[in-house]
Formats: sequence, structure tokens, C-alpha cells
Amino acid sequence: MTIHILNGFVYGGLLYILSVGLVLIFGLRRVVNFAHGGLFMVGAYVGYAVALHAGFFTGLAAAIAVLAAIGILLDIGVFRPLQRHDPLLTVLVTFGILLILEDLVRSIWGKDYVTVSVPALLSGNVEFLGLQYPVYRLMVIALALVTMAGLTLWLKRSAIGLHVRASSVDAVTTAMQGVNTDRVSATVVGIGAALAGMSGVVAGPLLTLSPSMGSYILVDCFIVVVVGGLGSFTGAFLAAMAIGQIHNFGIVYLPWAASSIPFLIMIGVLIWRPQGLAGGAST
Amino acid sequence: MTLLSFRDVASYYGSARILDGVSLEVGPGERIGVLGRNGVGKTTVANTILGIATMKAGRLEIGGREMKAPRHFDAAHAGISIVPQGRRIIPVLTVRENLQLGAATRRPGPWTVEAIYDLFPILRERADRPGTALSGGQQQMLAIGRALMANPDLLVLDEPSEGLAPVIVDQLVDVLNRLGRAGTAIMLIEQNIGFVRDVVERYYVLSKGRVVDQGRLDGVSLEALKAHVSV
Repeated sequence: MTIHILNGFVYGGLLYILSVGLVLIFGLRRVVNFAHGGLFMVGAYVGYAVALHAGFFTGLAAAIAVLAAIGILLDIGVFRPLQRHDPLLTVLVTFGILLILEDLVRSIWGKDYVTVSVPALLSGNVEFLGLQYPVYRLMVIALALVTMAGLTLWLKRSAIGLHVRASSVDAVTTAMQGVNTDRVSATVVGIGAALAGMSGVVAGPLLTLSPSMGSYILVDCFIVVVVGGLGSFTGAFLAAMAIGQIHNFGIVYLPWAASSIPFLIMIGVLIWRPQGLAGGAST
Repeated sequence: MTLLSFRDVASYYGSARILDGVSLEVGPGERIGVLGRNGVGKTTVANTILGIATMKAGRLEIGGREMKAPRHFDAAHAGISIVPQGRRIIPVLTVRENLQLGAATRRPGPWTVEAIYDLFPILRERADRPGTALSGGQQQMLAIGRALMANPDLLVLDEPSEGLAPVIVDQLVDVLNRLGRAGTAIMLIEQNIGFVRDVVERYYVLSKGRVVDQGRLDGVSLEALKAHVSV
């Protein structure tokens, strides 16, 4: 039982790191970013390609840097020009970008599945709660907690965090105070994309890499965001951990229903509490 | 050098022309009023400075620099802080954070969070409450405090007395006169003629997007001014 709970937290942690980027971008840009799954997948492949030559952690750093740059370009080149248009147009464009990224990766790395090894530094097991549990998996849980703490501190304690919170509610009034809200948006989308890239690399040793991996996890990611409450960081964390548990226990005990249970929960939450579990909260 | 200058400015929302050849200017330390009835384009003066309304003709100088298409944040960088109509307090930020937001383009000067608390002591008492949990008058104090945090050369206030009790308006008069005496230029966009008379030295009257009267307030009767804003 304990091992299933821990595995649920591992998947939940991974979902959180990915979903919180989506939450950040939605909170500021009001964009439902289908390309986020593509950013996750590109991050995984960039990390894999660099890790082949320079090791896992260099691959991780490279994926974060490359995806941050892609995120900034995405904001400047797509979100900013489309911000005064119908939001549906932006959704369609981001869906197109997801398909383009999948084709791009397929043409570079092929369509075959790719496996990534656990880095030597984090290989092996450690005794935890009376179990021999993989160090790498514990590190994923720790990374999710550090990401949550880091984002909370950044948003609550830094000047740019203040500007992000203000912009997400009233960008015009924030700009009136002299804040360059375009720069704030580019920073936020860059960070959101970097988190997607980081989660892609971290997912490498847990999942199998394929060009469609982003599309698959994007569905769980959207469930997390909707159940947690669009734009809510706390809600995203709680929902990610809950979906992680449900996903894992479903696979173990109800494999025939495992993929549909998260959808049923999302439907239930939307009927009971359309704003999500923590909807309306700013953090 | 003028802090703000409009020369024959025409401003639009979409295809609707709101300002039709407006000229006005504010120099350092001056206190001016922009008067007029509802819907004559007073707020559009502030919105043109902010780039919310689109300027299609004329010349706009902000902080001595010509701006053809000002971005929302340009005025603050040029030393002009705007207290918008309706206050626009950020609801997810506390009173203290709303003030800190105003320091985004902070220049050297006397205004700090503590100095704002000294000016409006109620804000110190409510520092950790959400900005929108304050009363209307307190929110107006917060909006003014937020604007002062940048240590501006010019403070533009759009209908600050709107919805406030007379006793609160009297407090605002005191505060604005103190700011004026300290050298901050003030541009008061208002319909409340009594309030304007107690604060400004010069005035412009707008009607249908044009300046139809202007001058110094000395010697102008209250009734003559009221005629410009009464329906």
C-alpha cells in the first residue's frame, strides 16, 4: 500500500511541475496553452540528446534554458499579437504548435520509443517508510515540493512576483504603475515553459519518450488545472497529488477504469464546484 | 519644460472620436483642473496619456518627450502618476502590496510606504487587509498613496471625489494642497466644482471633446464654473 501511495506522489509531483507552468501562463495570459504538452515533450528530447554527450544534469540545465527561450519566443511571437483576438483563436494556434512540435521531434529523433536511464548519482534504492524505495523517485517528490516552495516565495516575496500577481488580475492598472507588463508576461511564459521542459527531462527515466508523450500527459494536466481551479497554484498542487494517487491506485486496483476515473472526478468537480477546488484563490 | 502638453490632440476609442483638437499643458508645480459634464472626454485625457485611447492627430509631450503612441507604462516612467477613475485597487494584493506596486518606477523623493502611512494613518492600521476590503474613501487614499510611491512630478487624479462623503472630500483637499505646496504638480479631472476651486489655480473646461474655456481661477465665480458642468 505504502509503495502505491509513494508512486502516486511521484506521478502527482511530475504532474504538478508540468501543470503549474500551465497555471502560470493561464493566470497571466488567459491562454489555454495546448502547446504545453509539446514543450514537455521537447524538453524531454532536448534533455535526452544533451545527456547522451554531457550527462543527465547538463541535459536538465540545457532543457530548462532552451525551453525558457522557446517560451519567451512563444509569448512575443504568438500570445502577444493574439492577446486582443478571440481566445479560441489562440487555443487553435497553440494546438497547431503542439502538432508542429510533434512532427519536428519525429523528424529529428524518429517515432520509435526512447528510454532514458536514471542518472548514476540518483540510482539505487534507499530505505524509506520501511521500504526499499528508488532514490530517483523520492527526488521527483522532493523536486515538486521545492518547486512549489520556490514559486510561492517568488510570487509572495519578490518585486516581479508582486507584478505577476497584480498583472494577472488587472494588467492595465499594473502597467499604469510603470510595470512593463509585456516583459512580465514574457518572463512568466518563459518560466512556465522552462518548468514544462524540466518536467519532461525528469519524466525521462519514469516514462518512455515518444513524440506523442506530450499529448498523453496534457490530458491529465488539464484535469489537474480544471479540478484545482484555473489559475490556482494551491489548487494545482492538491489536484496533482490527488490525480497522481487516483491514477496509480486505478492502475493497480481498477485497471479497466483507470483512465476514466480522473475524467469522472473532473466532471463531478465541475458540477459541484465549477470554479475548481481552490478556484478564486490567487495562489 | 512642461510636464504634460497636449497640442490639438484628437483621441479615439476604435472609430469613435472623443477628443477633438484638445490643447492643454501642465508645468512643474502647477495645479490645474479639467472640468466638464459627464461624457465630454475628461477621462479620455487621462486615457490618452496612458495609451488606452488612441491618439490619431496632434502632438502629445509627456515629461518633455513627444509620444506618438504611449504605452501604458510610459507616463509613470516620465514622472506622471495617475489615480484612475474608480481607483482600480488590485483586489488580490494587500494594502501594503498595493502601495509597493506603485514603487515600480520609484524615483528619489520623500514618498515611502511609511511616509504614505503618516499621510493616511488608516492605511497603516489596514496594511495587511486586501486593498478592496477598504471603504471607498480609504480606497481613494490608497490609490493616491500608490500613485505617490513613484515620487511623481505630476499627479493626475480622475474624478477622485466620486462617491465620497463631503468630509472625506475635505480631507482630500487638505492632502492635495499639502502635496501642491510641496511642489508636486496636480491635474484634477473633476465635476465637483467646489473641490476643484479649493485645489487648483488654473482650469480647462471640456465640452464635446474640445476645450471651450480656460483660465486662472482668480476672480471666476463659483456659479460661472458650475454652469460648465450643470446639465
